[in-house]
This record gives sequence, C-alpha cells and structure tokens, in this order.
Amino acid sequence: MIRSAKAFALLIAAATLSAVPLLAQDGQWLMYSGSYSSHRFSPLTQITASNVSKLRPVWVYQPPGTGSVESTPVVVNGVMYVTSGPTMVAALDLRSGKPLWEWTRPIAPSVLNLGFPRVNRGVAVLDNMVYVGTLDGYLFALDARAGIERWSVHVGENTVGHSITAAPLVVGDKVVVGISGGEAGIRGFLDAYDTKTGKQAWRFYTVPSPGEPGSEGWPGDSWVHGGGATWLTGSYDPALKLLYWGTGNPGPDWNGDSRKGDNLYTSSLVAIDIDTGKPRWHFQFTPHDVHDWDANQIPVLVDTQVGGQARQLVVTANRNGFYYALDRKTGEFVFGTPYAKQTWAKGLDDHGRPIEIPGMEPSEKGTLVYPSLQGSTNWASPSYSPATDMLYVPVREMGSVYYKTGVEYKPGTYYTGGSEKRLDEESWGAVRALDVKTGKQAWDFKLPTPTWAGVMATAGGLVFSGSNEGNFFALDAKSGKPLWQFQTGGPIRSGPMSYAVGDKQFVAVAGGHALFVFGLDQP
Amino acid sequence: MSRRLRVLVHSTCLTLFLAPVAFAQTRPAAGPTDLASGQRIFDAQCAWCHGNGGDGGTGPNLHGKLRHATTLASIVDIITKGIPGTEMPSFRLTERETKQAATYVLSLTRSSLKAGPGNAERGAALYQSSGCGSCHVVEGQGGILGPELTDIGGRRGGVYLREAIVKPAASHPPGFLVVRAVPTSGAEVRGVRVNEDVFWITIRDASGAVHTLQKSDLSRVDREIEGTLMPSYESRLSAPQLDDLVAYLATLRGAK
Repeated sequence: MIRSAKAFALLIAAATLSAVPLLAQDGQWLMYSGSYSSHRFSPLTQITASNVSKLRPVWVYQPPGTGSVESTPVVVNGVMYVTSGPTMVAALDLRSGKPLWEWTRPIAPSVLNLGFPRVNRGVAVLDNMVYVGTLDGYLFALDARAGIERWSVHVGENTVGHSITAAPLVVGDKVVVGISGGEAGIRGFLDAYDTKTGKQAWRFYTVPSPGEPGSEGWPGDSWVHGGGATWLTGSYDPALKLLYWGTGNPGPDWNGDSRKGDNLYTSSLVAIDIDTGKPRWHFQFTPHDVHDWDANQIPVLVDTQVGGQARQLVVTANRNGFYYALDRKTGEFVFGTPYAKQTWAKGLDDHGRPIEIPGMEPSEKGTLVYPSLQGSTNWASPSYSPATDMLYVPVREMGSVYYKTGVEYKPGTYYTGGSEKRLDEESWGAVRALDVKTGKQAWDFKLPTPTWAGVMATAGGLVFSGSNEGNFFALDAKSGKPLWQFQTGGPIRSGPMSYAVGDKQFVAVAGGHALFVFGLDQP
Repeated sequence: MSRRLRVLVHSTCLTLFLAPVAFAQTRPAAGPTDLASGQRIFDAQCAWCHGNGGDGGTGPNLHGKLRHATTLASIVDIITKGIPGTEMPSFRLTERETKQAATYVLSLTRSSLKAGPGNAERGAALYQSSGCGSCHVVEGQGGILGPELTDIGGRRGGVYLREAIVKPAASHPPGFLVVRAVPTSGAEVRGVRVNEDVFWITIRDASGAVHTLQKSDLSRVDREIEGTLMPSYESRLSAPQLDDLVAYLATLRGAK
C-alpha cells in the first residue's frame, strides 16, 4: 500500500521522533534485513506481477574507488545510506541519486582481511546517527546529516585478523556489532555499545573460557583460537528481548585434531538477552565442524502453524545443507530437513543433531563432500513472505574436495589446516522456495552458477534476486516464473530492497561497483 | 585420473590475500626428510595439475628452468600467494609444509627437462599440414575457434597435450565449454559457449557464426561437459607423428 505524500511525511516525522527503530513499514527500509525479524519482505504493493515488465532504471550511483558494492542500502527519514568496500558510506538523496555526503575510512593495503573480501555490507541508523563497522576493526558513529564522526570504538585488533564487514544492528539504546576473523584463529565475540557514547554495554564470547558452560568441548588451550566469528547481522524479537545471532566455524577450519569435542558455540545459533549479553539458549547445527560451515546465515523469525499448532519459530537454511525450524523462545528443535545436495549426514536425530556419515572429514589425499565449503547457502540473505508462507533461499549447489594439512597458529595469518578444490564445472545455483512449515521445496528457479545474491519478497507478489552473471530479476512469488530482468553489467553480491518516495515504489540493488535504483515507467 | 577430477579448479575466493611468508636469511639445508615430505604434499595437492612427478598436466611441467620461480624462496612465495592472472592458486599450508613442498619442486627444476621422443621440427610441419592452424593461433597466425597455443608448451605438459590431440573430449580448456541449444522451433545450435547469463546465451558454432539466443525461446540447453568441436587425430596421425606434434607444441613458450 502506498500512502499519500502527506502520510509519508507524517511517517517520517514519527520515525524521527522515535528512539527505537520501527519495524519494517511502507516507505522505509530501516535496517539491513528490512526488519528485526529479518523477513527482507517489502510491504509495498505498487510493483506487481502485472506491471513489473515496466520496471526501468531511475538512477545509478557509483561510489568513489573500485570497491565491490555488497551492501543492502537502508532508507530512513527520506535518505538512503549505502556502503562500499573497503569502508565507505554514502548518504544519497532519494530523488536525484546524488550524495548528500560521503565518508571514507582510509584503509591501508596492510589491513588484513583473512578469509573474506575487502567489503562492507551496510549500516545501522538511529535518530541522527549512522553506525558502520570498518575493515580495520572499529565501529564508527557518524552524524546522519553530514557524515561527521561523533564517536568511534576499537572493537577488535586487526593485526590478529579481527575485521568488521557486517551491518550493525540497533536495539533500543544499544548498537550490536559482530566480528570477522574465523580463518585467522580469533576467539569470536559479539559486542553491544551505547548508541550515544560508544561505551561498551557487554561482550559475549562465542567460545567459552575454561570452567564456563561448553568449555568441556575445548581440550587444552584450543579455545584461545577457537573461531566462532559473528560476521553477519542477526535478528531480534522485541517481545522476548532476545537477539538471534549466528556464529562461524571453529578454528582451525579443516583440521579438528586439536579441538576434539563439540566446540560450542561455533557453527551455532545463539539467543542472547539484549540487556545482559548472556546466552539464554543455543542450537549447534554442525558440532565439531571440519568443513567451514559457518552458521552466520541470517536467522528469520516466523510465526506460523506447524502440524496444526501455532509456533513462534526461528528458521534458517544452514550452510551445511539442512533447513531448521527452532522454537525461538526455548531453542527447541521443531524439525529439520535437507534442502540442497549434501553427502555428509544421513539426517538429523530427534534433537536436530546430524547423524554423520563416517569418512567425510577432510583428508591428506582429499575427500569429496557436498556442499562445498561455501555451503549450500552463504551470507546472501533469504526472504520470507507472510503472504505465501515461503522462505526464499539463495542456493549454491556445489561440492568440494576437502584437504587436511598441518596447522600452526601465527598471529595475523591463516589458521585453517587445509584447503579445498571446488567442483566448479558441475556447480549451479538457484532461488529456491521452501514451504516454511515443512522445509519442502515449492519451486526452484535455476541459475547458471552458485549465487551470492540476496533475495527480497514483496507484498506485490514478487521475489527479486540476482545472479553472478549480472542479471537482476523478478519472479512470481507463488510459481517462481520469471517476469522481468535487467542486466546490471557486474556480478550481484548484495541484497535487494524496496522503498517509496511519495506515492512511488522503488527497488534498489547493487551490481558490480554500482548501485541501481528502479521504478515503474507509469505506475 | 578421472575426467571430472582433472577439471577441478582450486578455490581462490578465500585465498587471494595471503600474507607473505617471511623467511630468515639463514636456514638449515633441506634434508631427505623434507624432500620425502614435500613429495607427499606434492602428490596430494599439486599433482592434480602438474602431473605425477611434476611431468605436467593441466599445469606446466616443472622439470628444468621455470618461468616464475628459480629459488626456494620464490617457489615458497608462489605456493603461498599463487600467480595472479594464471590458474596457479595460493595454498594454505604451514610454513614447514610450504617449505617442504617447495624443496621438492626445486629438486624437480634441477633435474633436466625430460625430452619427449618426438622431433619438434617435423612436428611443426605436421601442425601446418594437418590444418591445426585453421582453429588455433600461434604467434598471431591462425583461426579463433579453439584456444590460442602460443604459450601452450609453458602451460601444459606432454601427457596432457598428447591426450588433447588423441581424445580432445577428455581435455577441457577453460572458456571452451560446448553447449547445445534446442529452440522451441527451428534448428538446434551447437558450439562453444561465448557467454551466458540467466536469460541469454551466446554460442559460436563450428562455422564461426555467433548466435545470441534468448533462453525463453529454447526448449533446452545442454552443457556438454565432455563435448568438443575438435576432431580426434588418433587415427589421422601415426604414433611417431603424434610424438613429433607433441614435441613441437612443447616448444611453444610464448611469442618470440
């Protein structure tokens, strides 16, 4: 539903006055995943299956530098905020597409990015502040009106591999930010800071120290470099006051000899009390992971019926090839099922623990396993439509030969203990629609190569996504039938979003080094 | 080695930014243990491309003087960082493993280049008389249907080259995937895939004609993983002639 310009102005005023970011609402896209429940669903209805063929580019923004744009823009108070690599933020005028300001963090070539590209995936906005993490491990608060620095904090030491690429998440008076570095032997953590001052509110370590719950799964001093990075944005349930944050692989990635045990809380989803920073429950998808199957994929909060019962769920299509539905209050395993080709587990037991097939660990001579280390899905966001009750997942169908090597910890270098050879030639990708209640595939839209593009469903009955080959496209949300496409000229490694200016709906996506905005020719 | 295994391409997505490994100026000389360990690592991780014993495969023969590496330190550097712009990826081994693998590679480079049995001069004549140049370019001369061969001797080993001539379907040069597109009406198009996205595909057929087709107009697109436009020369050339042709191709090391 598109509101009138006057109503839109009122909405902006309401958002400005609020000290708490509102949930997704028409006209704006308030945070990285669109809303706290991370549906990445636009309630706007102007662009539909019947008129999407008239979608045309309106403006293109090319950030300074040559960094890849992997950001999902946010639109708050009538301004778009988008980031580019290595660390750059632009505030854009919604009508002209021209910058109101640009802010660049100087990133020296010596700044480490062990295990990921030199990118930034977005900002968080609250009131007059824009929050952004930097490749060299800082969190900055910028004045939203002018891009001037208000405060900054040193979150993690880059010379040992800490880095920030994820968009922060603002909850109340806290800004929550995750850390990268799971290939460098860091001890992962999640931090919360006061939005006004930058004072640390709490830190939650994803790897327990000796004596803490879960430490029994970390022999000797293996916990010190245990990994468990928090490199993607989480979700939040305001009623339960719980943050849901995925954690990355244990370190070293492919050689688990020094860390025999489950290695909590790596490759897990952790529900964290927003006030205290303490975990209320956790669910580990891949105990003692040796394939680098991070569980950082964005958790999606869904209220639906399972077996005739109303359930409050957190659902996720995991990198390990299984789709999971958990009770988001208790962490109880509701059900799980494979959604992509996997050859490492016979299935899941009654508690959701994988029943592993022996001999699938990396080896000196190489072990062929599906999925590849990049997983059946990766950081590209899924989307949930309450209208279809489907979860739309960007899927990577690919296997790898996994190698295990020796490993030694040296600060600021890879701490992985192996490598992979990908089966590139046989691989492919898809946007896959799963029935959220069962995990069963409703439809599959195939792509030539394993995708890195996020997905957005809309109340207009559409699903938008992209391809490595540069296509930005719209599918029918019920059938997966392609309805429209535009060739952006560069690989799409970002998430689409939608917003409105006055009574007109727009769709934006980054492709290659640029941001593209589309609108209807004649709404 | 199976066809599928040979076309594997090493992941570079996570490995492009390795920090260089610093080496002390003085180090103990490599012993037989290092050589043996290095060979074990080589057999597992390098022989995929460089062939058993470094005799060459999809990657170059490592015997004799190398183009990119002449010292232990430079070989270590290449193993650690890869060679940008080539198919050589970086490897995440420990410092010790890297040094062991490099020690083994260095020992290969110090053994003389294994000369094939053929005669390169006769091979060059065969290259002309067999029509290879109608599809391949060497130093600016020839057709474009197949891959350029100007530096093929530096990039591919003798075993690979021989197989590519005898069983072209078994080799698969990057960028030369053969596809077959079947339109809902009209004749099918088979050829080398020039480009493909979600909605369009461009194919160069055996005559050199380029077809850009919209996928919605096609009933199917088959990727022929084992497909090739190159005929087999197994029955056209005698075994000594094949040796000669391979010997000639092995001399192609880049434009003079």
